[in-house]
Amino acid sequence: MLSWVSEERAFIAAVVIILLLLCFTISIFIGVKQTAFREKDEVFGDPERTLGGWYWTITGVSSVLLLWFYFSWGIGRAFFPEAGNEMCQIAKLETAIAPITATLPINTRYFKSTTLTRRNSEQLEILLSSMPTSIFTKIEQSELIEIIENSKAIIGVFSNQKNQSKESVAFLKKISSDIRKLSAELRLGFDGYLPTKEALAQPNWGTTYIEIPLLPITSKGVLFDSISNQASIITKTFLKTRNNSDAGDTLIESTKKKISLLKATNKSSVFDEDILIRRKAYVKAVERIFKRLDDGTIFPPKAFDGLNYAVTDLFTAIDETKGGLKLIDTLFVPGAGVIKSRTQCTEQGSGRWLPKPTDVIASFLKLANPNIEAGGGYKGSTLFWWKWLPIADLIGFIIPDKIIDLLPGEYGRHSDTGNFQSNYKDNLLALAQGDIYLGSIPMLDGHIWDSVFRVLVALILGIGLGVPLGIYMGVSRFFKSFFDPIIELYRPVPPLAWAPLILTIFGINDDGKIFLLFMVAFAIMVISARTGASGTQLSKIRASHSLGASNRQILRYVILPNALPEILTGIRISIGVCWGTLVAAEMLAGTTGIGFIENVARVVSNYELIWVTILIMGLLGLAFDIMMRRIINKTIPWRGKG
Amino acid sequence: MKNLIKKVTTAVATTVTLAATSASYAADSVNVAFFLEWGTPNQISKVDKAYDDAMGVDVNWTDFSTGVQMTEAMLAGDIDIAYSQGLAPFVTAIQQGHPLKMVGVAMVYEANDCFVKNGLGIDSSNASELEGKTVAVPLNTMADFAFKSYMNALNVDMSTMTIVDQAPADGAKSLADGAVDMACIFGGNSSKAAGEVGTPIMTSAQKVEMGIGSFDVISVTEKFATENGDLLRTFLDVTAEANAAWKATDAQLAKVAADAGMSVADVTSQMAGMIFMTEADQLKNYFGKDGIAASAAAALGTLFSDSSDGVTIAKTIDGSFLD
Repeated sequence: MLSWVSEERAFIAAVVIILLLLCFTISIFIGVKQTAFREKDEVFGDPERTLGGWYWTITGVSSVLLLWFYFSWGIGRAFFPEAGNEMCQIAKLETAIAPITATLPINTRYFKSTTLTRRNSEQLEILLSSMPTSIFTKIEQSELIEIIENSKAIIGVFSNQKNQSKESVAFLKKISSDIRKLSAELRLGFDGYLPTKEALAQPNWGTTYIEIPLLPITSKGVLFDSISNQASIITKTFLKTRNNSDAGDTLIESTKKKISLLKATNKSSVFDEDILIRRKAYVKAVERIFKRLDDGTIFPPKAFDGLNYAVTDLFTAIDETKGGLKLIDTLFVPGAGVIKSRTQCTEQGSGRWLPKPTDVIASFLKLANPNIEAGGGYKGSTLFWWKWLPIADLIGFIIPDKIIDLLPGEYGRHSDTGNFQSNYKDNLLALAQGDIYLGSIPMLDGHIWDSVFRVLVALILGIGLGVPLGIYMGVSRFFKSFFDPIIELYRPVPPLAWAPLILTIFGINDDGKIFLLFMVAFAIMVISARTGASGTQLSKIRASHSLGASNRQILRYVILPNALPEILTGIRISIGVCWGTLVAAEMLAGTTGIGFIENVARVVSNYELIWVTILIMGLLGLAFDIMMRRIINKTIPWRGKG
Repeated sequence: MKNLIKKVTTAVATTVTLAATSASYAADSVNVAFFLEWGTPNQISKVDKAYDDAMGVDVNWTDFSTGVQMTEAMLAGDIDIAYSQGLAPFVTAIQQGHPLKMVGVAMVYEANDCFVKNGLGIDSSNASELEGKTVAVPLNTMADFAFKSYMNALNVDMSTMTIVDQAPADGAKSLADGAVDMACIFGGNSSKAAGEVGTPIMTSAQKVEMGIGSFDVISVTEKFATENGDLLRTFLDVTAEANAAWKATDAQLAKVAADAGMSVADVTSQMAGMIFMTEADQLKNYFGKDGIAASAAAALGTLFSDSSDGVTIAKTIDGSFLD
């Protein structure tokens, strides 16, 4: 079942997309109707009258999902599951021909020969003007000038059409005609081309580690694949093509001799070390440029005309043969299309960093599988599951080992026979260390639970300590003046700044992470409780006081209810900020948790996993927030109705 | 109103066409990524502009703090050559199908150390006592690779250990605090800090004997390699010259230290452990058939992800620019 779902994810996505489109249009339709219907009794800014509106929620959610599907190429893959494979075959052809394209003004402004001529001539000029005359003798200088002039002359010789050898002209002609043959073959169409059995057996697009299946699965793809194979043979011969001419050869030979003479002088004569290094460096620089010229990579300006025409025509032919694929490419595959790297075909543009919704769900399901042996979970821990927690562990956690040390008597020793008989102290130590089996209780477990646990504990501590302090700061002169500078001083410091200290104070266990989150929650809770308490209407306090209420009663029945809306808003904010700080907290010493998964996924640039963690965190934050909204509606129904 | 719509559509259409047609143009500048606090001989050529002179184009150097960031910058098209990218981030990038290739070995150096807390009395002879202990490892880095190699070589069962993912600086601190029993570290300053309170599980001699080592690579985008093979060749050429000219003299060390942002003493000790190979040696030992480059990359690949095979990674290793 699961494997079927995984294989057919394109089809499932197609159904989902159609449903989303339906939701989107219908909800807009309902929304517009409802708006018209209620137009009369709507009062701007009245929260009572803006209640409801579920249809706009549906519009919002479905438009976000549709955008996600679109930019992750999810729509393209759902309705054109073969497009990726076909684009891969075209990318193969483009990659195969790339070395030829690189020498032509296709995607660039100049012929490669033009660029080379310009660059090398400029460098020769610079070399000539920067010649260190002090370290070369007059004769050597003139030799060097001659070498540089020769190099320039070589550029001239190679650039001259008349000097180009007949073989090289014929060679280029042959390559051009070969490429024209490829274009013709492309234009003939792909009838009769059939994909191999092996290709058809490949897993679908995106279902395995390798994104796009490499072997062609459609006739169009087979055509492009076979053309690309021929093209890479042509490219190989092209790369061997050199512009050689007799005039050039003689020049090169004589220049070579001159350079080796200079090098020999450097070797045989005795110079100062410093001078020798500079001499060698200069000769080397001259030789480097000469060597770049002597292998005949510069061609006459018109030599590539035929080739340029042929290759441009090949690209036109590719475009024509693409047919409907071109439309899919522009409409449904935003970004730079598919490119072929050495080992596989990959999506470029937004498809590269934005995984498809269905793939994210597949990744999530793999993580959520509680069976770690079968490849579920992440780094040896489940995502969200339960386990048997030995009660002894809890007791061992509560009782410190040191207490046992304080008891009278000594720990046991092994006897002469090599046996060990434990006494009461050993037994108690075993209890304190959690080594005695006392039964087990079921307990939640996994990355999500660990993160939620940390956030929850930090929140409870933050609320439990922050709210009383905040209220007292609102009502008491001492509390306000004493704590104000401390709280205000630490509150604006970003939690990440504390991180390095936390590690060395608390170590690598949960307490440090919880403390970091607690600090965030605490400051927010103090501020909001204080604002709430000090914002109580004076008349209410005075009224209750004159009716004989004690201090405690005023606090409990007047100030606390008045501060409650602010406190609950504070809790909502601190939940959000705690989730935000979690990734930083779990980066300190990661063993488990959502932030840990995200940190490791970042190191291996696994974008699918990163999106899974982002979504988990977002959804958990949303769940917490919805819970808080419920609580707010239950506990302070009077809010905003005064 | 109608006029406005027309104007807007024209503007949008122009922008779209411009964006669509602005393809790449031949390189008149080359962008190279390098690491700060990682001294290499070619920094002298970098400071002296020897690369710019030899290649005839502007060479822009950008510093990075991790190899993954280098990969990301190369994918975004901002970097052409990454000098001394770690083998681990390179292999990870290839596993994700990114169009990069390895064209040279920047330097060979001793594998990163795993420091055992002093006082535990654990060394390579009784390494099995590490079972059940807590270890700080920066996951999926060369230090992780070294950690797994040590544990395999010493027959230690890793499943019994608590492995904590920590950046080197944090790992060194946790080791000093006693929160972890062993910390695997890369980077000069963190290694020094960890060395204060711990001892490497294997000595240099043992590492050599067990064949545990690591190297940094020179990686390039496939696009740059196809379109500007001549520039790439010159780049490797100048690098080789810088390596050949490296005598670790005081003047050279001072120059590298200034560029790397380190003290001369630190650069000296860091570079003492590095081997810079000639192009011929690289071709012979690393890039030949069954060369070290391919086998190490394959070993690393299977270590990081069980769903990848080493054969495909080996395809992205190309020594042809070295000759």
